[in-house]
Amino acid sequence: MTDSSMTMPPVLSARNVSLGFDDTTILAGVDLTLHPQEFVAVVGASGVGKSTLLRALAGLLAPQSGRVEIPAAITRDSRAWSMVFQAPRLFPWRRVQGNVELGLEGLSLSKAERRRRALEPLALVGLDEFAERWPHTLSGGQQQRVGIARALAVQPRVLFMDEPFSALDAITRRRLQQELVELRRRTEAAIVFITHDIEEAVLLADRVMVLGNGGMDQPARVVEILEVDMPLDDRRDYPEFAPLVQRVETIIGSY
Amino acid sequence: MMVGMTRAQRTLYSVLGLTGFLLFWELSLRSGLLPGSLVPLPSSIPGVLWLELLDGIWFDVVRSSLSHYSVGVLLGSTLGIAVGISAALLPRFNAAHAWLARLLRPIPPLAWIPFAIIWFGINPSAAAFIISIGVFWINYFASYSAVHSIDPGYDEVARAFGQQRFLARLTKVSLPAAAPGILSGMRAGLGQGWMTVVAAELFGIPGIGQRMMEASSLLATDIVVVYMLTIAALYATFDFLFMVVQRRLLRWQS
Repeated sequence: MTDSSMTMPPVLSARNVSLGFDDTTILAGVDLTLHPQEFVAVVGASGVGKSTLLRALAGLLAPQSGRVEIPAAITRDSRAWSMVFQAPRLFPWRRVQGNVELGLEGLSLSKAERRRRALEPLALVGLDEFAERWPHTLSGGQQQRVGIARALAVQPRVLFMDEPFSALDAITRRRLQQELVELRRRTEAAIVFITHDIEEAVLLADRVMVLGNGGMDQPARVVEILEVDMPLDDRRDYPEFAPLVQRVETIIGSY
Repeated sequence: MMVGMTRAQRTLYSVLGLTGFLLFWELSLRSGLLPGSLVPLPSSIPGVLWLELLDGIWFDVVRSSLSHYSVGVLLGSTLGIAVGISAALLPRFNAAHAWLARLLRPIPPLAWIPFAIIWFGINPSAAAFIISIGVFWINYFASYSAVHSIDPGYDEVARAFGQQRFLARLTKVSLPAAAPGILSGMRAGLGQGWMTVVAAELFGIPGIGQRMMEASSLLATDIVVVYMLTIAALYATFDFLFMVVQRRLLRWQS
């Protein structure tokens, strides 16, 4: 994130958002403002409502109360937001290229433009040569990269990522984390990143939002927001890295 | 299980089994073990088929049956798929017709023959109607199950990528995701159609069924067998052609 992006209008603002099912509230009082290129990681114990929060921020779930705004309206050739899911969820009946084009369908783009726009992010994740392949012929890591390309193709203002690397093996996950660091430099999108991997959160994010249980019969809430004040390159080598990871772990452990 | 057998060995055993059966059939009749008036000699079948071909009867009855079959299968498949998909996607429609479906489903297609005659008379439309009923239910349930069991995650992906409209989700998610189940239903419907076509023609509508009925009343069992084998051959041909199309359409499957 650059300093100038902080002066730009926010691309997402959530005010006092509460979430739940029927009469039960599982997460309450979430405030979040995101500026272009900003990266917020959301961490917390299993079942605390991280993925539910992400879906509410994206508008896939209606909050019980509060308001979420993504001011950037849909334009002729882009969408306000897109999402990378925990499982790649590629459509097996579409080739790789067809999957990446999904979000571009319905925009005012010619077939040739759609094709070009799909190939760009595929090249960015190193899979442009796989455009004509069927999804089942790709490895899990490659499928997830196609999922990322699909999300980037619509040039979103906000990119939601729901534990995108959790189902991958350690080596692939590490490589994709590095690719995401590179990707951040080349995209204007702000990113909301859900993860249960604290090290991953500190490695990638500008801010780490920690969700914790509110106590007996109380909904979960944001218990702490930590700034990650380290350059993006090789964060693991910085002396602040390990203590910050430790601190987040301690916060999560105490709720 | 055919574990440990090569393709050639399997073919050899299949040929041996079929030849053994025909031989047993032929010898049983020639030795008097089976009465010749009830079962024809297998060796007489090619000659009888040739006569049916020469007289042009075979072509006429097959053409008639194919026309009943085609109309019935097309009608039953189209309606079955349309109603099945609608039921799976539209909860109110599903609830509104669920009891009616439960009521009508167990009624066999042939039980509709009296109504078919009253409504259409003894003509090809009646046969097509009876065939379509059996085909309808197979396609209805196959399509309903196929759409109903689609991973809801695909729908979420479609909505996340701006495909919120019903028609977009239908064409981009529901139909392609359910295609394997729908096509399996269509294939089963093709088989069901051939099972019903003979029965639907037994009450006097020209076709294979009527020819078999005529032949059996004259104890011409060899002619009956000719048309039994004709149905088997037609079914196998249709099934093979459909399988080729099915494989092509589902080439995305692993």
